[in-house]
Amino acid sequence: MIEAKGLGVVFPNGTEALQDINVTIDDGEFVAVIGLSGAGKSTFLRTLNGLVRPTSGSVRVGGVEVGNLSGRSLSRFRRTVGFIFQQFNLVTRLTALENVLHGRLGYLPTWRGLLGLYGEGDYELAAGYLREVGLSGKENVRVDNLSGGQQQRVAIARAMAQQPQLVLADEPMASLDPRLSDVILGLLKSYNEARGVTVLVNIHVLELARRYARRVLAFNQGRLVFDGPAESLTDELAERIYAGSLEAL
Amino acid sequence: MTWVFPALGMLVAVLTSISRGSARRYLYASGLGLLVLFFAFPFSSALGYLSREAVHPTPAGLLPSAPVLGTILAVAVLALAPWPRRIHGWVGGLGGLLVLIVVFGWLGRGVFLARIVPLPGVMEGAAALGLAGLAFLVLRGRGALLALVAAALVGGGSYALLAGPAGHTYFPRIAGYYKLLTPISAQETRELIERYNAGLEKANALRAEIGLKKLEPIRSLADLEGGLPKDLAREGVRLVRPASLRYGTLAALFLAGLLLASGFFLARKPELAEEGDLTGGLVAAGVFAVLVPSFYATEFSLAKLVKGWPFFVNFLDRAWPPRLADPAHNVFPLQEVASQMALTVEIALVGTFLAMLFAVPTSFLAARNLTRGSAFTRAIFTLTRAFYNIDRGVDTLILALVFVAAVGLGPFAGVLAMAIHSIADLGKLYSEAIENVEKGPIEALEAVGASGTNVVRWAILPQVLPLFVAYTLYRFEINFRVSIVLGFVGAGGIGFFIQNAMASGMYDQMIIGIIAIVLVVNLIDFGSSWLRSKLV
Repeated sequence: MIEAKGLGVVFPNGTEALQDINVTIDDGEFVAVIGLSGAGKSTFLRTLNGLVRPTSGSVRVGGVEVGNLSGRSLSRFRRTVGFIFQQFNLVTRLTALENVLHGRLGYLPTWRGLLGLYGEGDYELAAGYLREVGLSGKENVRVDNLSGGQQQRVAIARAMAQQPQLVLADEPMASLDPRLSDVILGLLKSYNEARGVTVLVNIHVLELARRYARRVLAFNQGRLVFDGPAESLTDELAERIYAGSLEAL
Repeated sequence: MTWVFPALGMLVAVLTSISRGSARRYLYASGLGLLVLFFAFPFSSALGYLSREAVHPTPAGLLPSAPVLGTILAVAVLALAPWPRRIHGWVGGLGGLLVLIVVFGWLGRGVFLARIVPLPGVMEGAAALGLAGLAFLVLRGRGALLALVAAALVGGGSYALLAGPAGHTYFPRIAGYYKLLTPISAQETRELIERYNAGLEKANALRAEIGLKKLEPIRSLADLEGGLPKDLAREGVRLVRPASLRYGTLAALFLAGLLLASGFFLARKPELAEEGDLTGGLVAAGVFAVLVPSFYATEFSLAKLVKGWPFFVNFLDRAWPPRLADPAHNVFPLQEVASQMALTVEIALVGTFLAMLFAVPTSFLAARNLTRGSAFTRAIFTLTRAFYNIDRGVDTLILALVFVAAVGLGPFAGVLAMAIHSIADLGKLYSEAIENVEKGPIEALEAVGASGTNVVRWAILPQVLPLFVAYTLYRFEINFRVSIVLGFVGAGGIGFFIQNAMASGMYDQMIIGIIAIVLVVNLIDFGSSWLRSKLV
């Protein structure tokens, strides 16, 4: 369960990225987060795994107060939260399998991680998730030899390999061919349905949010302006969400 | 041969106008050049009794004795004034002509006596001004006020130091370095000489007693060409010889030619001007003002080259054909070169390897992005960078001299020197590679909960490793060329062979070493760049 209460983030340069966010998300939900770029979607996702620290209010994930974590406890928490980036953020000189294995690093003692001494089970998990995202046979291919869509699927497998309680995907299709959106979102959706893991996806294409998500959160200039089922997000409402941001531009 | 210099200046102007380049730029350049020359370049020499008493006054310094030289200053200022283009051309052209006349007139003038008047504080002031300017430029980014205050402090402080007793102790030549030469009237000149001649009888009597040559009385100033009598020199009198060319005179002739011709072109075609002419002229004058004294200081002389040419030909005669082996006398130079060359490569290999061993771990401490965490790591960063910067400043050869003294002649000293110097260069390259890694994978590995060392191992190392290898190979190329020279200071290798062959005049053996070096240098450069291209 995710609970944000009065959550606010002010960047060192004075930008108010998030203001007074109050939201509760139950386990197993598939939530789309919409809004224009700069509206605070990314920052919201990043506060959920501690990449960005809240400057006011609180955010609890699975009963843990994320803002209070640091050092080892932060690592312990992060290994339970998969994060999928817009730019994939893979280590492109390593193979697909090695990148997926990185998802297991949080579970290994540091010295074993340093030497790359993953357990038998880790290899099985990694190979299994690569198969699940449709990349069996590509295990030993260097990532820079894979296409963009394949790279993002490796990144999804890396997040899955963490065996997370929560998966956060920050605009996972934005750097890909639009036709691949269904592949990526389909993978996340079926993972969510099969394992019951909570998934939050930042999307700026309204159409996709409506198609995949049951629940939609909309951000505008750092505020949560809509929280409800996808069906109740009328065209008029959507226009207001986006138009407000345009004025600010 | 002095006409060559104005002709060169004119040639530059002609070539530029043919290619339709800006003539006005040269007006500014030669105006600024003449300005610098007027105050800073030696224009003639003035003899004293000892050769170290000779002074080389600037046109400004000669002004009291030869006011006509002020023309140079006037022309320089006029060439820089904002005239309409056509008038500017005429001003420049006529000014150039005027300077030519004045300089040639000065060169034709006979010798004369003048008295030196040192101007205290001029050099000190110039140095302090330079330091203040430097401080201002460095700190300009942090606000104009701060920079001004700092420049004033630096300038004032360094002036006080240099002009004070400490400055005059450490830099004895700075006190009164800049001198004026005030004229001595014909009447006084005659009196000085008469006084000298009158004292001769007594002096010669003394000299005869201790067996010295008799001194002849002075009949004309031309008798003084070999140097002034001691007493006159002590009084601060110098014999100014306008015909003695210094680089300032030659520079003035060149600039006058340039000014004359480009002024003429601008007057004829006013369109030969561009937007940034003043800046361009400033840059050209700056380069000129630095290069001309440097050529003089390095004793650059084509005449010497011409004179030395037969020796060079003789060297080649004796070096060819190479003597590869001479079993009768039990000398095998080719074998020797091969062995020494192998040793040279080995020195470079070991030196580079040792340097890499130390540079890899320290480079992580010298990477800004990995040391931002705490005050402690930032201090380590600063220390490591400081070590690199100092180490980079001490060249391999200098280190080799020290190590030869410490561990004795031979390749070990060379290896140590090379390893220590290369740590800094490699470390700096490595740490810059670390600073430029993609941030994405680091963020991703932090997000999976990997520990800090594992982030370095899996997000940074895979990205930088190929670069590390490439930089190491590149350093090896450099180190091989350095290890050739290491032999000259006794640190082993092919350089030692070459030095020995050279010293004993066996040029036909030495040439084998040189050919071998050319071959191996190219081979290694080629091989290493091929390997590097495979890496990235």
